Amino acid sequence: MKRVEIKLNISAVAPLLDVIKQAADDLRGSLAIRATFPENDEEFNETWTSELLAGQNSDVRELLGLFGSEFFAEGSIAIDSPNSDSLLRGCSALRIQILTHWLQGIPADLLEDEDVPPEAIADELRVPFAAYTFLDQVQKIILEHLDPTAAEA
Amino acid sequence: MEPGRRTGWLGAGPENPTGGRVPPFRTRIIVAETKTKKTPRPAPAPQTQRAEVWRVVVLNDPVNRMSYVVMVLRRVFGFAEERARKHMLAIHETGRSVLWSGTREQAEAYVFALQQWHLTAVVQPEHAA
Repeated sequence: MKRVEIKLNISAVAPLLDVIKQAADDLRGSLAIRATFPENDEEFNETWTSELLAGQNSDVRELLGLFGSEFFAEGSIAIDSPNSDSLLRGCSALRIQILTHWLQGIPADLLEDEDVPPEAIADELRVPFAAYTFLDQVQKIILEHLDPTAAEA
Repeated sequence: MEPGRRTGWLGAGPENPTGGRVPPFRTRIIVAETKTKKTPRPAPAPQTQRAEVWRVVVLNDPVNRMSYVVMVLRRVFGFAEERARKHMLAIHETGRSVLWSGTREQAEAYVFALQQWHLTAVVQPEHAA
């Protein structure tokens, strides 16, 4: 089983966690991306949504679990193969929510740029933007080092 | 929906390559009526109608990174890297790509799996595309 440990700067990451936790709270009762349903059947669609929501909440909980007391003591998070799927999905859900809640006004080319100068982002949006890019980097590390597609082989 | 109607919630396997939950397929129950009242017999339906083909379409989104989308397509559909990348680029450049077509239930399963990974995916009948 592969395992990746990421050493983080606690003082840099801690403010981002406030945004991430708020996004997680927002997502508790709603999907990051509105579901589209194959059928026009209220009962069916309700079940479809509730199952997606249960999975999303579980993934987000897994991600938040990385930033518990151990993180604040050691400054590192550990990702291994079994939890990598949940973490990838959790990062995705939270990034979508952060974009929806805080970053709608930022042009797409800036959102996709990994080297955006801080002055390009309005002061009040810098922390949400940093949280958005931080989660992107966590995803990137998982994709590069844990090779989630290996599970299909 | 009562739990008993949640049929088809599959584990990992050929019908559910992601190993995750699949959508709430319902058992379709046909109740035969036993009334004997005579009603005008409708003209027999033509026998040329074929089972409809459904498409799984993935739409572009501004959040998920390209490598993430490629990984999801590989996981959900079992695509090779090159094929997944080709679809990802089509989604990115044209806004959408048809990933799969076939039976409605399997299409629904794929769309559900894609939505679990937070990709925007829809099921469409082939004639509507």
